[in-house]
Amino acid sequence: MVTDARSVRSGGVAQAVPLRRRSPRLRAAFPYLLLTPAMLYLLAITLYPGLFAIYQSLFVVRFTSWEWVGLDNYAKLMGDREFWAALGNTAIIGSISLFVQTVIAMTLAYFAYRDPFVKGWRIVFLMPMLFMPSAVAFIWKLAFNDGRVISDLLMTLGVVDRNVDWLASIPLARLTLIVADVWQWTPFLFIIFVAALQSLDQEIEEAARLDGASWPAIFWNISLPMIWPIVVVAITLRGIDITTMFTNVYIMTQGSPGGATETMSYFIYRQGFRMFNFGYASAASVLMLVITVVIAQTVVKRAFRSGKA
Amino acid sequence: MARTRKTRGESLILRYLVLGSWALVCGLPILWFLTIGFRPRTEIITPQPIYWPTFSLDAWHLLVSDWPIARYLRNSLVAVAGSVVIDLVLAIPAAFALSRYEFKGRENIGFYILSTRMMAPAIVAVPIFFLFKTMGLLDSVWALMLIYAAINLSLVTWIIRSYMMDIPKELEDAARTDGASDLRILWEIIIPACLPGIITAAVIAAIFAINEFLFTLLIASTSRAYTMSVALANFTGGSDGVIYNAIALVSFIAFVPILILVILIQKHLSRGLTMGAVKG
Repeated sequence: MVTDARSVRSGGVAQAVPLRRRSPRLRAAFPYLLLTPAMLYLLAITLYPGLFAIYQSLFVVRFTSWEWVGLDNYAKLMGDREFWAALGNTAIIGSISLFVQTVIAMTLAYFAYRDPFVKGWRIVFLMPMLFMPSAVAFIWKLAFNDGRVISDLLMTLGVVDRNVDWLASIPLARLTLIVADVWQWTPFLFIIFVAALQSLDQEIEEAARLDGASWPAIFWNISLPMIWPIVVVAITLRGIDITTMFTNVYIMTQGSPGGATETMSYFIYRQGFRMFNFGYASAASVLMLVITVVIAQTVVKRAFRSGKA
Repeated sequence: MARTRKTRGESLILRYLVLGSWALVCGLPILWFLTIGFRPRTEIITPQPIYWPTFSLDAWHLLVSDWPIARYLRNSLVAVAGSVVIDLVLAIPAAFALSRYEFKGRENIGFYILSTRMMAPAIVAVPIFFLFKTMGLLDSVWALMLIYAAINLSLVTWIIRSYMMDIPKELEDAARTDGASDLRILWEIIIPACLPGIITAAVIAAIFAINEFLFTLLIASTSRAYTMSVALANFTGGSDGVIYNAIALVSFIAFVPILILVILIQKHLSRGLTMGAVKG
């Protein structure tokens, strides 16, 4: 009945979205009202800390006394070898780790997605990801350093002839962090790659198959290009997470040897909460924030646009 | 034909070799860590690794008697569950607006929400620490709840948004012509229709909250507010060294419920992890 009355009023054409007794202004404001609580919350945890960090970065903070130093903290950072090392370490450890886990995850996905037991494989491969990251860090700390299990296995295999001190060499210490990260997070990429491959139209692959193409060729030339946008989204998300690496460093290496495994996150943590150079830590945070915003505005925005329907 | 069959056979062997090896890579460290939980401390850090240890419940007794493990577990539960509730209350209306309305700035607001997820915890760690210090919230489970909610809000919003976008417009229009208000449409049509998405978002948010380490470390400075994750890091026990068997046990106590939750939402996992970008 209501519809009848409306359609008469609007000249016989039923309105798709009839207005209720509500002012047009409220209607226009409605989506913004729905967004307000979430936006306020997010602004409180991003904008406020951002501004606070910028402000604090202009001071030397010693417990309760704040001494204005202008841009000195930034000037000091630019000449701080440890800061650049942390930036470089994050890039090196992060990119190697990301590359290795992408290759492993893609290989596994290639073999698993046509397998009748794909559900079983998924659960098994997923398990490392479901451990708390701190627990995973302890697993590998014990396996590499404290428990000497890896050394023992390598000795049994004849790869090395005596116990390896993983924290004594820069590449080896980095390797332990990479192994822990790859072990825990390859599943993240694997799960996404498999889902993407499974969502593909099987008929295209079957048709190519009947034409005599081999599976690797089909995968490389047909399937992979088709899921590429999703691959980019997944790698981007993982890449962002890797740049924030902290837990493994904190538990496994504490940055040793000689700061070679200190990541940006650990650098900020150490400056702020170990050495209580809060102003200095804030300056580093601001620089890291700038890098993040640039990456978010370019890489991530593009990845999500193309990845989304 | 013969050639086809041959390549099929070869690729099967290779396939199970590859998948099987990675299953071992995943499984063996976990099994080995489980044995750590049930061996005496004297058999953990040894010059020569012991692969067949004596069975012992030392760690279990230690946890029950020396550590307030029940309190850590409760802290984790309260903070995580509370944060998920906060997230859902804030994210559902936001996702509703982003998915079902046309308005100016929609895309930019959506992307701003997404981009908060990209901020490294370390960037905001110092300011948040000072903020909570002024508010007298250090060392409280409430602070952890607020932080976890903040970390996951973008993720929860985007996952739910993605599921809401899939609901056909007709469903909504029909209700609208019947005179239903927008909020009633949200409550009676949209929310029930995207319940799988809401559950997926909640589970993934809960897992990330349980895993959160840096803020928990900074905010929970005494055992009053320790969660499982930080309690683990504090089992490094000073003069006692790292108490691995207790750590292993606690890890598995946290692992089992997470595994169950994830198996429940398995179908939606890839979509949730990519914030809706993959519709697997």
